[in-house]
Amino acid sequence: MNYVEIIRKQRKNYLDTEDTDALSDYAGKLTDGLSDSFTLDKILSATLKGESIFDDGQLIEDLKTLFLYEIRSAMVIGAEIITVCIIIGLIKNLSSSFGKSAVNQIAGLICAMVIVGLAMTNFYDIYNLTISSVKTITYTMEVLLPVLIALIIAMGRVASGTIMSPLLLAAITAFQSVIKNIILPLVFVSTVLTMVNCLTEKDYVNQLSKFLRRAALFACGLIITLMTGIITVQGIIVKSTDSLLMDTARYSLDNFIPIVGGFASDTIDLFLKCMGSIKNVVGVFGIITIVLLMLSPIIKIVAVALVYKIIGLLTEAVAPPKLSSGISDIGSSLITMGAVLFFSSLLFIIFITCIINLGGG
Amino acid sequence: MDNIATWAKDLFLLILSITFIEILLPESNMAKYLKFIFSVIILAGILNIFK
Repeated sequence: MNYVEIIRKQRKNYLDTEDTDALSDYAGKLTDGLSDSFTLDKILSATLKGESIFDDGQLIEDLKTLFLYEIRSAMVIGAEIITVCIIIGLIKNLSSSFGKSAVNQIAGLICAMVIVGLAMTNFYDIYNLTISSVKTITYTMEVLLPVLIALIIAMGRVASGTIMSPLLLAAITAFQSVIKNIILPLVFVSTVLTMVNCLTEKDYVNQLSKFLRRAALFACGLIITLMTGIITVQGIIVKSTDSLLMDTARYSLDNFIPIVGGFASDTIDLFLKCMGSIKNVVGVFGIITIVLLMLSPIIKIVAVALVYKIIGLLTEAVAPPKLSSGISDIGSSLITMGAVLFFSSLLFIIFITCIINLGGG
Repeated sequence: MDNIATWAKDLFLLILSITFIEILLPESNMAKYLKFIFSVIILAGILNIFK
């Protein structure tokens, strides 16, 4: 029996294909077919043949199309904001010949409020998108985790499976709720304060909004460092326990059963190696799915942030300086949001890598 | 978190209305004192999160 057959057979026996197929379909729907070239079957057959899994340039082409599409759709709101800014400049310059009246100040304020309204609607959409993609990535992890843990236990790493499973599940759930309930709302509040700050003549809440944004990013980094540390240290400890257990079992099989013991332990070794390779394939599938799920919202966020930064530098010529710097601050807030999303998917990728490392093989 | 959301909303409305009132203020000697009082009100609004 060669190893390709064993792997195919074991995969059918141990892997609940319904879960992973449902996950592939779900990811394909969310990424507009971007993840269709990375289903579990394709990765497995590529691994068995020894081919590369990224063999087509289609992916890069898709990403480029997606980025350009997002830029184009963000340009619409950019054009609206620039138009209102030009109107503000017109009002300021025209009415200066009539003296400093309250009416023209109020007109400027109302135009600025229109800009804030436009930016706010757009930002709220992106905020919801970020929250929903954090949810999606968490869901992906929740589907993948039982599959991977079952594979680890099938490899004979019982302690790893039983200890890591509740730990990882708790870490993922806690992280998701912290991101959704504390960090992203902080970024949102900071953006609201930035916007109200560009309406007023004097700086009232400039420092406060900057502080909130930095605090959100700092909290995110702190939580990630903490969780990675806990999971990694725990992983190292259970790994050594398990390898002791496995080696004892193999040694006693090899030495205490005469004649066939040696063959049996070799066959078991082969089976365990095959399980290990299935587990690695599932892990790679998980990493690629998470990266692809993260990629499309991040591309959107980066495109919109870029457009806001460009509007900020274009409107500096016509609009009051506070307004243009406020618009470019909204761009910074968006980049912060993208960074939070990126870090959360990075944490999940670290988790999967930890699980892959646990079994060795 | 609802607390912080309400706080941000209140602060937004407070600053917006104070900006309007400042523009509509008649030119007089009292204007600068009023502006100072407005900034104290905004300070109170920011500190309102600790209540």
